Amino acid sequence: MNADTLNAIDAVQTRNIAALDAQDMAGWLATFCTDPEASYICISAENEQRGHAIALMFDDSRARLEDRVSIVTKVWAGTYQAYRTRHFFQRLACREAAPGRFEVMSNFSIAMTPEGGVSSLLTTGVYRDLIEVSPAGALIRQRRAVYDADALPRYVVFPF
Amino acid sequence: MHTPAHDDVRTQPLVWSDRISQVPKEVFVSEPLFEQELKTIYYGDCWHPVAHAGELPEVGDFKTFDLGRMPLLIARGKDRELRVFLNSCTHRGTQVETATCGNRPEFECPYHRWLFALEGDLVGCPGSKEFAPDFDKKNFGLKPVRTAEYLGLLFVTLGEATPPLDEWLGESMRSTLSVVLAGDGRLKLLGYQKVRYAVNWKAYNDNDGFHAPLLHTGFRLLNWQGGQGAQFMTPNGHISIEAQLKPIQSSGFLKDPSLIEFKGQNPEKGSCVVELFPVSVLVKHLDVINLRFAIARSHDVTEVHYAYFSHADDDEAMVRHRLRQSSNLLGPCGMVTMEDAAIFQRIHIGSFTPGYAEFQKGVTGGKEPSFDVKQNDETGQLPKWEYYRKLMGFKREAEA
Repeated sequence: MNADTLNAIDAVQTRNIAALDAQDMAGWLATFCTDPEASYICISAENEQRGHAIALMFDDSRARLEDRVSIVTKVWAGTYQAYRTRHFFQRLACREAAPGRFEVMSNFSIAMTPEGGVSSLLTTGVYRDLIEVSPAGALIRQRRAVYDADALPRYVVFPF
Repeated sequence: MHTPAHDDVRTQPLVWSDRISQVPKEVFVSEPLFEQELKTIYYGDCWHPVAHAGELPEVGDFKTFDLGRMPLLIARGKDRELRVFLNSCTHRGTQVETATCGNRPEFECPYHRWLFALEGDLVGCPGSKEFAPDFDKKNFGLKPVRTAEYLGLLFVTLGEATPPLDEWLGESMRSTLSVVLAGDGRLKLLGYQKVRYAVNWKAYNDNDGFHAPLLHTGFRLLNWQGGQGAQFMTPNGHISIEAQLKPIQSSGFLKDPSLIEFKGQNPEKGSCVVELFPVSVLVKHLDVINLRFAIARSHDVTEVHYAYFSHADDDEAMVRHRLRQSSNLLGPCGMVTMEDAAIFQRIHIGSFTPGYAEFQKGVTGGKEPSFDVKQNDETGQLPKWEYYRKLMGFKREAEA
């Protein structure tokens, strides 16, 4: 694959985590393709390893992705302690699975700072993505965020 | 063994009001009190659910869990019996199993290679010819813990005077619990969500029926009306709430309303919550079967393992439905329950102030907790607090 493809893939990953750190859920949604089958699954490494399908966030359709935006911004507004996150990712592998579709694996880590508190590591993990690349740019078709913590250190509001 | 707690904590100026609706906030934040609670409650004469048989269906399946700080090893033997052992080598005390769950033919302590059968027997110990003259392998099996089951839900106790499990649960809890456990307990594990909350275990398990329509905005946005129900309590601190599920009138808020469909058979008891003393919460809501195995880690940390299940007779579509609903509805990031998680931490921080946590909804002014409460009364928690107070040996002002 050429540098333009990798640049496009890195660009959509960057937009995704930048939106999360800005708590811009509409911006997060905009990094996913509009296909009804677009998905975001956030699952623990323990479940993944044991073959258990329960996830922390299970959005297996574009409609579910849109509902997550509504839940975070409308249902939960004002009920949780505000916190800041900083996402970091590093692409580890990329292969073309089909014309214009790329399987991408990236490590991620998320630092979390509650309002009035100190920074700590929320969790680390691996993104296993299927990313569509076109002349217009790249969009995420499937994201599987497999997080390492067997027990998360706190409740979670925003996607990983 | 039950240890009267008052002798150990009487140096603390912890006074309980004569009003039964007041709980001193200090009980939520006291570090020395937690140590006494471990002895009196977690290692005392109480039953604690630690697993469901559906988590360990095959011979050799195991799971580790902590009762307070006591490490446990739960395993299914070759005779298909579930047993619980202290997760500590009988040689030098080393933790035997470190994995959270898995399947093994036996358990080996790597330190000196002592080998234990799934049934706990010591079957190998290199160099034993030079052990003490009275050494006998028969005396060094993994130390078993007393267990009992109800519809596959496995309980343990370290106490010597703990009553039989049926008596501990009581008829009303067994009745609601049977609904949670799908009537016959034939559950299949779907997986876990695990999280630590910065909250004392007693605040985690103090969730009342009053808060639900007030805290949970989702109910209003989804036009999700609660149905008629009832609340039951036992004198030893258990609480259950059974409620009917009213059909949800779609408000158009969700693009994918299939997430909150009810496909079960019994809407009259479509929502059931059992809070077992001291800290476990067992829930059946819509088609979610959720057993919350909680660990009191310290006075300010409670770890909760949300275990989700399907039923053995579910078809593929029902399993898929339960999977989607379970993942998204009632966990630490659940559409309905994330707000609960956020409240836990705020209760803990707020409890460093002096005074009392005040119960109001349903309070009638009586001197003893009432067992006749409405579905959404806060007072359903009061028999539990009275049981806790007496168990820990705290006196009220008039008695002090």
